[in-house]
Amino acid sequence: MIRELRRHWRFWLITASLSMQAQLTYRLGSVGFLIGKAIRLVFFFAFVVAVFDHVQTVAGYSLMETALFFLTFNIVDMVAQIFFRGVYNARRTVSEGDFDFYLIQPVSPLLRMVCSSVDMLDVVTLIPVLVMTVLVLQRLPPLGFEHGLIYAALTANAVVLVFAIHVAVAALTVRTQELENAIWIYRDVMFMGRFPVDVYAAPVRWALTFGLPIAVMTSFPAKAFLGRLSPAWIGYAFGLSAVVLGASLAFWRASVARYTSSSS
Amino acid sequence: MALALDVKGLTKDYRSPVKEPGLWGGVKALFDRRYKDTRAVDAVSFQIEEGELVGFLGANGAGKTTTLKMLAGLLTPTSGTALALGHVPWKREAAFQRRLSLVMGQRTQLWWELPALETLRLNQSIYDIPEKEFRRSLDELVDMLDLGEHLSVPVKKLSLGERMRAELAAALLHRPRLLLLDEPTIGLDVIMQKKVREFVRGYNRRTGAAILLTSHNMTDVTELCRRVIVIERGRLLYDGPLDALVARYADHKILRARFTGPIDPAKLAALGNVTSSDENRAALQVPRERVAASAAALLRDFPVADLDVEEVDIDDIVRRLFGGA
Amino acid sequence: MRKYLRAYAIALQETLQRRSTLLMDRLGGFAIVLSLYSFWNVLLGDKTSFLGYTRPEMLTYVLIISILRSFVFTGRGWQLVQEISSGKISSYLVRPLSYHGYALALDLAQKTVHVGSSALEIGLLIFIARGGVFIPRDPAAWALFFAAALMASLIFFFLEFAVSTLAFWTSESGGPLFCFELFLQFAAGAFFPLDVLPEQLRRLLSFTPFPYMVYFPARVLLQKVAPAEAVRLLGAESAWLVAATAVAVAAWSRGLRSYAAEGG
Repeated sequence: MIRELRRHWRFWLITASLSMQAQLTYRLGSVGFLIGKAIRLVFFFAFVVAVFDHVQTVAGYSLMETALFFLTFNIVDMVAQIFFRGVYNARRTVSEGDFDFYLIQPVSPLLRMVCSSVDMLDVVTLIPVLVMTVLVLQRLPPLGFEHGLIYAALTANAVVLVFAIHVAVAALTVRTQELENAIWIYRDVMFMGRFPVDVYAAPVRWALTFGLPIAVMTSFPAKAFLGRLSPAWIGYAFGLSAVVLGASLAFWRASVARYTSSSS
Repeated sequence: MALALDVKGLTKDYRSPVKEPGLWGGVKALFDRRYKDTRAVDAVSFQIEEGELVGFLGANGAGKTTTLKMLAGLLTPTSGTALALGHVPWKREAAFQRRLSLVMGQRTQLWWELPALETLRLNQSIYDIPEKEFRRSLDELVDMLDLGEHLSVPVKKLSLGERMRAELAAALLHRPRLLLLDEPTIGLDVIMQKKVREFVRGYNRRTGAAILLTSHNMTDVTELCRRVIVIERGRLLYDGPLDALVARYADHKILRARFTGPIDPAKLAALGNVTSSDENRAALQVPRERVAASAAALLRDFPVADLDVEEVDIDDIVRRLFGGA
Repeated sequence: MRKYLRAYAIALQETLQRRSTLLMDRLGGFAIVLSLYSFWNVLLGDKTSFLGYTRPEMLTYVLIISILRSFVFTGRGWQLVQEISSGKISSYLVRPLSYHGYALALDLAQKTVHVGSSALEIGLLIFIARGGVFIPRDPAAWALFFAAALMASLIFFFLEFAVSTLAFWTSESGGPLFCFELFLQFAAGAFFPLDVLPEQLRRLLSFTPFPYMVYFPARVLLQKVAPAEAVRLLGAESAWLVAATAVAVAAWSRGLRSYAAEGG
């Protein structure tokens, strides 16, 4: 077991370095994507700040608090983009036969499908986001060390949830072989996480908490830090991740089994 | 000797959606999708011993690739069993995967933007190959495949032949005991084909790995394989020595004659199947047992200047039988 | 003309054939529109208007974003990039066919399906939203809106086409294209009315073709532009259309020349 983990870890390090090298061979393309991502970040941030020129609070949150929601969303979203990048190529991986190689070689096909390309560009954009998050956290009224800890734990929990969703999307791609933009729909829906969940009407809020748990991923960590999340909800967040992760892994296994009994 | 492959009654059905043509068909398919089943492989059984190099023949769509995919563990059969190196392939156990390799001529596992050596390094970690063994394996493959500097050039800059050889190196780094080759020479020029063939033969002899090979290039088969398995529409048609297959179908010889003057084509046709003729040359296909009589009749009734008796070309038979290129 | 109609019909079928892709595309679009509306709704709070938009006007703006996302921002850029870099472009060039016309026909098919199906989410949003929706009575507003939107769509098509043509010179044109599209969506007002931006920035943007993509048609339909001003801006928009077409055609023919010179 330990030996297997170590082997997979070594494998991941090598693929990560290979995908960075491959990315470096496309300088113009990479710079374009980098600037695009920076534009999105800056524009949205400017938008949030501009809005606060006209109002005092949004859904009861001050500028700093709203900024924390927005930054937390970006951290979770970027970590997913950095480490689970492979899902964006899932359809090509399947249709060009790379997935066949994944299946006949002794490394977990799931790891290869989801995690084996690492996006270095997002590491570059993540750093300023982290710096800004620390600055914002310092400007908020201090609520004690444990709030910071819970914030970190819930953010990590959010990454687990995002991973589970990526696994499910990968499974869907293996299963249908046609959902090329399943992951882009996720990204569109994830868009809702840019704002605190409180801006949404009750039914939407419920859908984002219990249906597609975007609120749990993006709003819960910030709310916990601000002391506006009860222990019961914190428990719910961790329980949900465990259940969703279990379900999506089962779905992945079922889809691979079906892949290997159909397709051509 | 131990068995590398033991296949019994292997069967595979595919389901595929049926779409009616036209716009209305498209709209209908939105709501109601129909499927039809096709049997791609039908109760195929055979055994291959370790160290054997077997050709796997059949027309396009006969079920060759499907069978190979089942033996590699990529597809689960509808029914039937198979043991590859003592494992059930579609359980995809690591112990089996470490001793197997599948090479598909049209697919690549190499990283396009990077030198092939990087993919080899990756495979080293995938197959958990110790550094010393990796070095030895690599040196050997570089030498046999004549790869030299090609491994340190980005794959996208390699020619097709160089890429195929790098592909083979990536596939064989872990010294598989069972090698499934699907069209390894497709798209290569004649010289490269020959290189790849020589390598496959050498690898088989040196390591004693079992190799099952499909190819549309009949020279691959006639030069490499003493035994062939033939399938047609999913069914096993023949399993045995290539020579015997040829003998079974090559029940004819060719009589090739040159004449000193004009001849009557109708009279010529009475002697056998005329495959080509012009003013003063003709080729006749004659059943083996009538070769002597026909040749005598030819010499007696026609102004023959020269006469040859030839065997039918092996390539030609195989090609005609199995619809190759 | 007939062949382009045929291409249109085939592309229409193909889009319909991918039922799940289509459905999920709409779902993603709906998520974006819903979150934008919710955010504005919270900003409006108890106020009668925010930045000069009443609640019904804001809903109409968001609905226009929804329609124009389908109608304006669906070019063939990525397809073109892919066809140039894979060399598939050659197979069009040898046929008696204008590639622009062909691409436009395919784009139109895509727009037809997406605009048609966005009726679904528009209906849903009107149903959810409170406070009603602003619908102009004046037929002139509608006429101006359609004219503005149609030209916006063509401007986007040709601008995107021009950026994609970079693929003739570099295999990495995906980066600039991505960057261009993101910038465009913000600068066009496809996320928020440009009124939120500081005055100087807005003036700067008014010298570019971008505000004509969403912001201008939306304000025309909301009857926030005086008729004379609207006609003047429509004139400016058509000038931009001519410019965009000229740039696209010039880039295309230069690209082809360099493509031919390098032998593909």
